[in-house]
Amino acid sequence: MDCTVVNNVKAATRRGKEDKKVLRKQLKASHTLLKHEGISTASQPTKNLVVANGGLGNGVSREDLSASMKQFGDVESLFMPPQKPYAFVTYRSEDDARKAHTQLNGQKLLSGENSVTLYLSYVDSVKHKEEARVHFPEGLALVKDFVSPEEEALLLAAVDWSTSDQGLPEECLAVLHRCLQDGHINVLPDQLTVNQYETGQGIPPHVDTHSAFADTILSLSLGAKTVMEFRHPDGRVVPIVLPERSLLVMKGQSRYLWTHGITPRKFDLVPACETQSADHSEPDLGSHGDLTLSKRGTRTSFTFRKIRHEPCCCAFPSACDSQGGSSPSPPSQPSLPSCHANATRLEEEYVHRVYDAIASHFSSTRHTPWPRVCHFLSSLPPGSVLADVGCGNGKYLGVNPQLIPVGCDRSSALVQICTERGFNAFVSDALSVPLRTDSCDACISIAVIHHFSTQERRLAAVRELLRLLKPGGQALIYVWAYEQEYNKQRSKYLKDHNKPQNGEKSKDKLGESQEPHEEPSVLTASHLDNNHTGDLKDDSKMTEGKLSVHTNRTAFTSQDLLVPWHLKGRKTRVEEESSSGLHTTKSSDSKLSPSVDTSQVPGGSSVPVFHRYYHVFQQGELEQLCIEVTGVKVQTSYHDQGNWCVILQKE
Amino acid sequence: MKLLTHNMLTSHVKGVTKGYPLLIKATEVKVNEVDFNPKFVCRMIPKLEWSALVQAADQLGHREDLPGELVPDYEKNEDFLKKVHRVLLEVEVIEGCLQCPESGREFPISRGIPNMLLNEDEA
Repeated sequence: MDCTVVNNVKAATRRGKEDKKVLRKQLKASHTLLKHEGISTASQPTKNLVVANGGLGNGVSREDLSASMKQFGDVESLFMPPQKPYAFVTYRSEDDARKAHTQLNGQKLLSGENSVTLYLSYVDSVKHKEEARVHFPEGLALVKDFVSPEEEALLLAAVDWSTSDQGLPEECLAVLHRCLQDGHINVLPDQLTVNQYETGQGIPPHVDTHSAFADTILSLSLGAKTVMEFRHPDGRVVPIVLPERSLLVMKGQSRYLWTHGITPRKFDLVPACETQSADHSEPDLGSHGDLTLSKRGTRTSFTFRKIRHEPCCCAFPSACDSQGGSSPSPPSQPSLPSCHANATRLEEEYVHRVYDAIASHFSSTRHTPWPRVCHFLSSLPPGSVLADVGCGNGKYLGVNPQLIPVGCDRSSALVQICTERGFNAFVSDALSVPLRTDSCDACISIAVIHHFSTQERRLAAVRELLRLLKPGGQALIYVWAYEQEYNKQRSKYLKDHNKPQNGEKSKDKLGESQEPHEEPSVLTASHLDNNHTGDLKDDSKMTEGKLSVHTNRTAFTSQDLLVPWHLKGRKTRVEEESSSGLHTTKSSDSKLSPSVDTSQVPGGSSVPVFHRYYHVFQQGELEQLCIEVTGVKVQTSYHDQGNWCVILQKE
Repeated sequence: MKLLTHNMLTSHVKGVTKGYPLLIKATEVKVNEVDFNPKFVCRMIPKLEWSALVQAADQLGHREDLPGELVPDYEKNEDFLKKVHRVLLEVEVIEGCLQCPESGREFPISRGIPNMLLNEDEA
């Protein structure tokens, strides 16, 4: 055959293969969009497109995406939901959308340092999700343009980085007097800390030590803008843009109760168009504006404080070191609780605070409902009222659309995720659920009861679940099993030895995500036969025992333990906070979030590690527990992927 | 918090016997557009406490012409079902609180989420 013909055929086949590959990847992207984000793509062309991999979550800026889309026609609107790996474009005409689809589908886009491959699909409509209004923490004020560019230059030049013991530079006095005049402070500060943050640097969330400094703390941002995050103990997070030359005034709750920190990042999400707002305005972030990425520059902060000479007597004793409050650092070696009060304290530290801190990372690894739980849910009669006690991120609330589900969880951060997904949920404790007795057709409690630290509390949880049920109603309970290997079958937890920690998938690229794994795990060492239960310490001995930290993905060696969770998405460089302070402050006023250690990962940066308390159940233990409740029948009992499970019926 | 959720919630303060229904004090209410599914609404109606629903809608000023009693043969009454749909699924309390009718204890609703946690001494 003629060479050119052969080459042409080869080229055509190659093109055909390429096209098929793009189509395949595009279908996968649409499927993931539907499965994980609830976005359904249209089969017919429309003027709306969803651009997978073209989102803020992929590091694509609004400007770059906009420039790229405008080539094909008039763009009516461009919607980039924050942190998501996709964006929506609406063209004036369907023809333009078609052009964009043909030209851009499967093509690469360069934005900043990122190169992404875009996959476009049509959608019937674009639902602009309304962001909840974000309010400043109480006592916080932001004053923009507090110093002029000339003053900014003078202040930056006044810092002598070579010596650490200097008086307050003269140049600061004018600024401080302005603060007095404007009423932000009543007394002149006598302490200054200067910190310099290069791009990619931050400072972990902390509350400035109550006993060291008085109420008002002033912080001037020079050289570049940044985003500072304020966190309330209940889990609320408020991100605040601090523009260059702005003054941040922290008093009251914002100074004593909320932690503040700067996530080490190279890009922040900021409003796309700087609105002309008043000096003392509320934050723009989280309001209904458009967002884009802002690259960080080198920011220098001047933080002025007044040294306290007597003990602190603030209204926030729980966070106050003068009033015996615990700063959130865990006891070095917690033990199994011997009484109710200790139990609640242990669970507060090693369950509740942890879930609030890890909520969004946790939620991202919990999106595949377990088949046997789905089976239970699907077998319920249509119109059944279902209570999901300990619903987490709402994973099971949408499985069977014919049910009337309501979820509750102890973590407000997780309940927030449920609400964002459109589910009915509220915050409550599993030991006291505010639903009427005999009101639910069915209940589920998946991976919840193993977080209760005493036998009594676990029993109380089962009782409460049963109380909610109508007579004849069914409950499904799943708890983590001590025996990870059952019938010679290793659980997924043990099997996934070499897979990444916490089962996170590569979140950013829609076209390339992998199925994540459900539980954080560790290496598998020995396996347990069913005969080895006699080797365990019995409960009475365990009461005084110390809780040890489990090594993820290994077989369990004790029933009560702390299981590590490596938090992704927030690297903390612990060294950074004292990088360039003029005066080193008393003790460390940077305190990490609850129960946190950091651990080194390859690459050199530290990752926060949280410890969660678990009581893992032995074979038969869950059944025994349920039998203690009167008026209950155990219908089925089984082992499912490293969990012990029961289906109960209320008589 | 949608009124469907409110219809299920009760006060669980220790010692309270008449904790249902909770009174709603709303400072911010939103009305969303939710796809109307008549079958779904029909299935919900028998599970509801009708008077509690009407009272709640009233407290929010969103009762409109919702009848005080269930109409007979509602399954075929699309008009009626739409009214129920609106009140149960479209009206949402964003900020406010739920109050126990017996003890007066208030449970805050913030960003659409009721926080029903009790203190140590109330549980």
